[in-house]
Amino acid sequence: MHFCIFVLYYKKNMFDKIINAAIKFSENNAFCINTAYYTYKETGKRVNGIKNLLRKSSSQNIGIVIYDDIETYAAILAVLFAGKTYIPINPHNPPDRNDSIVHQAEISTILSSQVDDVSEVFADVLGLDVMDTTNVSDNNHLLEKPDVDMEQNAYILFTSGSTGVPKGVPIRLKNLDAFVSAFFALGYQLDDSHRFLQIFDLTFDLSIMSYLIPLTIGACVYTVPAGEIKFTAAYSILEDYEITVALMVPSILSFLRKYYEEIRLEKMKYSLFCGEALYADLTEGWAECVPNALVQNVYGPTEATIFCLTYDWNRSAENKNLNGIVCIGKPMQNIAAIVVDEDLKPVAAGIHGELCLSGAQLTSGYLKNPEKNKEAFFTLDLNGTAEIFYRTGDICYIDEDGDFMYSGRLDNQVKIQGFRVELSEIEHYAREFMKNANAVALTSQNSSGNTLIHLFVENFNITDDLLAFLKTKLPTYMIPNEIRIIGVFPLNVNGKTDRNALKKQI
Amino acid sequence: MHYDEIKSRLNRVFCTVFKDDTILISEETTAKDIEKWDSLTHLILISATETEFAIKFKLKELIAMKNVGDFMKSIETKLAV
Repeated sequence: MHFCIFVLYYKKNMFDKIINAAIKFSENNAFCINTAYYTYKETGKRVNGIKNLLRKSSSQNIGIVIYDDIETYAAILAVLFAGKTYIPINPHNPPDRNDSIVHQAEISTILSSQVDDVSEVFADVLGLDVMDTTNVSDNNHLLEKPDVDMEQNAYILFTSGSTGVPKGVPIRLKNLDAFVSAFFALGYQLDDSHRFLQIFDLTFDLSIMSYLIPLTIGACVYTVPAGEIKFTAAYSILEDYEITVALMVPSILSFLRKYYEEIRLEKMKYSLFCGEALYADLTEGWAECVPNALVQNVYGPTEATIFCLTYDWNRSAENKNLNGIVCIGKPMQNIAAIVVDEDLKPVAAGIHGELCLSGAQLTSGYLKNPEKNKEAFFTLDLNGTAEIFYRTGDICYIDEDGDFMYSGRLDNQVKIQGFRVELSEIEHYAREFMKNANAVALTSQNSSGNTLIHLFVENFNITDDLLAFLKTKLPTYMIPNEIRIIGVFPLNVNGKTDRNALKKQI
Repeated sequence: MHYDEIKSRLNRVFCTVFKDDTILISEETTAKDIEKWDSLTHLILISATETEFAIKFKLKELIAMKNVGDFMKSIETKLAV
């Protein structure tokens, strides 16, 4: 009998968990958005209301224009529970970029809580069926498990692509479900009384952990309002609402470090960092600000669903770091992580190489992008089984305990405010505007540890117009902080632009 | 220091930080009014303001500031001490 119960519990997938939490904790608050609370019951009614709307759509892929409101979160859940795939669309991105996403994902149905603004979100709205998610509520708040193949995509996120075209990363329901299971297998002691921070833009997959995990246990999600100074607003929420679980980008510590002496968040139980290199000196001070919390460095690319390696910060012993960057730890359950050389052969412990990932959380490959898939994925025989691995582009080595030590990026893909940015995409658009005059984008770190973008242009002095053009093509976080004009770019011995020589000029 | 002088000097700080000489701040100005005013530039803005007026803000003071008017009042209070 006990065995049966055990089996049944572990057969529950993420849909069952959300359904059960919504029944058991129907009067609990599910969301706190801009100081307004929404219970599980109320959220469930909205989800079912939007699900009813979706019956009129034959499209599998549904675009959701994202705002910081309950309608947007309900729309995400409605799409998942309708057995469809959601694609978050940032209304502040250039319309051309959003059009590219709609085109690539073959989206014909858009959900929005601000339908009047849709013409500003997309350059071309013809052919789009725009559905208004406001004032849509069903009498029934109970969620119904979708009859859906877990091989189907849960969402597609678009990241920066080197050719100027955003790259779609589809994540299947089974990948997301594997993440949820692996997350709980880490042993967090969580229940419905916990309060989770949600600081991320919904086009960023770290947001999914921040709202999905609490919904599986009946806990409440506290969102950071958009359009404010995010780090100040986030801290305010951490303190005012006594947040107990917070996944944040390490940049926030660069902001808060000056004020560590003022900060004491006693209620924080789990303080997770992801999305960028986490610096040991910043973490040490932060750990004192959250005296009762487990501080954890988590790592993972979008391609391997949210995060897949974790390292627990040790308060009473020396912590592992490489050049001041905190260790990224060990793989979560059902993840295989290896380090390979240039020939994609696994290297021995202690040898630097490229970190590659495989397992239950791995995407099936980029959307309609065979060339990129060929570059980024490869098959390797692992213990007698052919496994598909993803090349992360991150340089690591494995230490004697099996922990992964992060060393840096292999290419010129960087993280800016947690967003992954291909510097070549910025160069691409700069060259397009300058009719292919030479452009090189580089980054530096300021004294606070924040990443700044410097765009070097060769013999082109209309920088204001160039900047204005870039603003029509790229999201704000990709706009250069500085444009520098150089007469002639220095060349290296191979006759290529000497990026290192340019970097010395920053 | 007179309030108008605080405003004028703070305006110069804004122009320098946001690399835009056309910025004209008012008491009602918020982050929504200045395109590049995000978490990163906010950090730079605070540091530049602290240097300009030789003052230090507390985190609680920064959180309480809802617009440039609050910012100026806080500077004025600190300078009066």
